[in-house]
Amino acid sequence: MAECDAVRESLEKYVGKPMGPPSVAPDPVNVPMIRHWVDAIDDRNPVYLDEAFAKTTRHGGIVAPPAMLQAWSMARPKIEGIAERGGAAMEITHDNPISALNAAGFTGTLATNSELEFVRYLRPGDHLSTTNEVESISPRKTTGLGQGYFVTWVTSYKAGGEVVGRQRFRVFKFDPRTIDPSRLGSAR
Amino acid sequence: MRISIGDELPPFVLPVTTTVIVSGAIASRDFMPAHHDPDFARAQGAPHMFMNILTTNGYVARYVTDWAGPEALLRNIKIRLGAPAIPGKPLHFSGRVEKVGEDRDERVIEVSVRAANDLGDHATGTVELGLPLAGSDR
Repeated sequence: MAECDAVRESLEKYVGKPMGPPSVAPDPVNVPMIRHWVDAIDDRNPVYLDEAFAKTTRHGGIVAPPAMLQAWSMARPKIEGIAERGGAAMEITHDNPISALNAAGFTGTLATNSELEFVRYLRPGDHLSTTNEVESISPRKTTGLGQGYFVTWVTSYKAGGEVVGRQRFRVFKFDPRTIDPSRLGSAR
Repeated sequence: MRISIGDELPPFVLPVTTTVIVSGAIASRDFMPAHHDPDFARAQGAPHMFMNILTTNGYVARYVTDWAGPEALLRNIKIRLGAPAIPGKPLHFSGRVEKVGEDRDERVIEVSVRAANDLGDHATGTVELGLPLAGSDR
């Protein structure tokens, strides 16, 4: 059905462009944050904290849990007003498909897919920087959460100039006013 | 460890509590109120405060490496997200070896993983990991 969709047309300019500005992780990879994570997830793989044991493995020393990749680069939050900002750690000022869809009434957000790729494990001292790019925006879809668009972006994580990991992330941005209660359930 | 297609990972049940969700959210530096404030989460249409994706990825990784051991190198974690993980609804993890191959002097294994509660599938997807070839069939 090739009907004209002005909202989707207005989003085309974002595809292939940065989702947001490049960022530098607040801290290098470090043991205290690894310990905090390991305790929270109760992950007792000894290569994350036991240097003597880790040296006997092919890791050659302590490595960070790979699933922490995204955690190192999380923005420092401004706690005051975080609820009023819908949970955004900081005021989002850049123009991207999410802000454009919010402005067009597609204010709902549901994360649907995450793909983490690890090029190499991180070690204490690695200092991450990130860049990201909008990979695709779907045509308008009607789902159990009403009408909206799937927005996919890819974040590249670098340390010392080399790419150490990537994350592809997809969210469904929907207009809550279009939800059909009889189909309420999922964005499939 | 001998690994063959069709092997099942030992099941794991995570008792999801408010503490589990908040601990993971803060350890991953995710301060979004939906992951610690039930009233905020409900106002957004969720049934309760819910686990953040970073924590889900952390548990999926842990589930696989608890089985594969400390020599495992995860190559990727690809998940599709569904039902929210909320307090009082235990998450049931299951997994199965889907592929076994070789690449760059490693044995490469793809495991399918499912984490479900009584609302449905919270996360389904695959984890690809490498294990050293030498001695890997001891």
